[in-house]
Amino acid sequence: MALLKVENLSIGYRTAGGMLKAVDGVNLSLEEGRSLGLVGESGCGKTTIGMALMGLLPPNGSITGGRIVLDGVEISALDEEELRKVRWSQVAMIFQAAMNALNPVIRVSAQMTEAIRTHRPDMDEQAIMQRVEGLFNLVGLPLERLHDFPHQYSGGMKQRAIIAMALALNPKLIIADEPTTALDVIVQDQILKETKVLQEQFDIGIIFISHDISIVAEVCHDIGVMYAGQLVEAGPAQEVFFNSKHPYTRALVGSFPTLAGPKSKLTPIPGEPPNLIGAIPGCRFCDRCPKDTASCKLEPPKWQEINERHWVLCDHC
Amino acid sequence: MRKYIAKRLAQVVVILFFILTVLFVLFRLAPGDPVSRMVDPEMTPEDAQHLIEQLGLDEPIWKQYLIYLKNFASGEFGYSIHYGEPVARVIWDKLPNTILLFTTAVLLSAMVGISWGKIAAWKKGKGADIGMTIAALVTHTLFLPWLALLLVWVFAYQLDWFPITGMVSEEVFLDPDAGFWAKAVDVGYHMVLPLATLFLIHFGSYLLVMRSSMLETLKEDYIVLARAKGLSDRAIRNKHAAPNAWLPVVTSVGLSLAFSINGGALTETVFSWPGIGRELVFAVSQNDYPLAQASFLLIATVVLFSNVVVDVLYAFLDPRIRY
Repeated sequence: MALLKVENLSIGYRTAGGMLKAVDGVNLSLEEGRSLGLVGESGCGKTTIGMALMGLLPPNGSITGGRIVLDGVEISALDEEELRKVRWSQVAMIFQAAMNALNPVIRVSAQMTEAIRTHRPDMDEQAIMQRVEGLFNLVGLPLERLHDFPHQYSGGMKQRAIIAMALALNPKLIIADEPTTALDVIVQDQILKETKVLQEQFDIGIIFISHDISIVAEVCHDIGVMYAGQLVEAGPAQEVFFNSKHPYTRALVGSFPTLAGPKSKLTPIPGEPPNLIGAIPGCRFCDRCPKDTASCKLEPPKWQEINERHWVLCDHC
Repeated sequence: MRKYIAKRLAQVVVILFFILTVLFVLFRLAPGDPVSRMVDPEMTPEDAQHLIEQLGLDEPIWKQYLIYLKNFASGEFGYSIHYGEPVARVIWDKLPNTILLFTTAVLLSAMVGISWGKIAAWKKGKGADIGMTIAALVTHTLFLPWLALLLVWVFAYQLDWFPITGMVSEEVFLDPDAGFWAKAVDVGYHMVLPLATLFLIHFGSYLLVMRSSMLETLKEDYIVLARAKGLSDRAIRNKHAAPNAWLPVVTSVGLSLAFSINGGALTETVFSWPGIGRELVFAVSQNDYPLAQASFLLIATVVLFSNVVVDVLYAFLDPRIRY
């Protein structure tokens, strides 16, 4: 049985202009210990899916269709109190740490113990502290910095502290939302490698949200490419990256520079994503698509299987 | 930290010197002279001249200024012209009354304002928030003497629940059998209306500052993380959001604590509360230079020191601030 199943999930935000369909009919599936990268540009709905998995949609957002099943439990049907128990103990989240993910007025140690204490009221203080120290060792943070305040940490240390925090309760699933975006490349690389080792060691399922398809291809087993609230291409990471079919995925692959390999011109994607308020009858990418045909605008595209487990939402690929 | 405090205190001394000079100049520029108040019709011009010499008012102005500085530096504030008593004594008599009323008022309105502001932000847009915000805006914009008189008229005159003026009842304080508690209860009883006035005028500003600061804090990433950790609403609000939100409120509470010494001339006058604020107005209208100068200096000193205290307090509330 899959660890996580997202079936036909739709999420809308109530806005002044009407209902904004941030996520529209997305299907995802993740096995235990596997990692899935969600890629796409800002506003494509990847973070919204991450928040929905934790039951943390903002007040004006709601699940309008479909369901989320984690380890046999339907997350999308839980009430607030039940969700509170699932959060962090079953699904943890790694935030972009260089932003303000750690509370500036609370010591790092207290922010870590608090997560454990909330979910394991039976554990005594000594055991909690031991656990926190173990986690610090695990992510390679020096123990003498345990009681520091967050501002005394470097960006990389903050990120490690947040990873340690995410591992605190042995969650089955971790959602990593742009976890290394604000770090410099060397620290980013170290942290990604260490995260991968930890993930394999503890058999955790990871949803890795990023705008950078090359990083995701390196770190994750599978990739799902999102565009304007829909999944447009999905499959094994290497397959999707090197054998991309959807014109949007190809454009994404082409819009990041490579250090190795021949020098080539970066190709930006022309145009803007469509407005998600109101109905869009045809393919959402057709305005920016080089393969655009008359039928694309009128008929919604259908899923095509390219190779084993490699699917694309395009009629002309 | 210690070096920082020393530096700030040195600044305070320099600023106080400037304030002393400004006070000296202002009082010499003010119309009217103190001697005319003391001279009575039966005095001869010679007597009046003698009085002026006695007070040192015939000395050249620069010499008066030097004497004035020397006296203040040595803690000599002179005699009140009106009371004929040492100024320090007059102030010392009134100060506790003012501190009692205004410190209680500031702390009470700060506590209520902060905790209600916190809840208003948490329930943004809901009935509780709208009700509290409107209440805060209305009471905060009321004209203090009008509110004070209204409260006196309704609760003291019409309903006769509270005394109209003053701080103590003679029958309690002149009764040799009355113990400490009887006196304390009597003062508390007299304090209800002035306290209510000050509370109603002030809690709104704390509430509004706390509410808007809290709303900003609730947008931060660490609040999302706290929610993701499955913490209870209560823990998120009180442990994660509020400690980040109350810095701006501390500034305004710290500065209004300065008023707990200055007193409020209006409140004290309406309620005949025997405090510094009322004394200051009286001293100015009577051309009682020594008393007025010392009162103004006291106000300036308290404001300067509360600024230093607020800055130091910041370092305790926010670990990112180090001097």
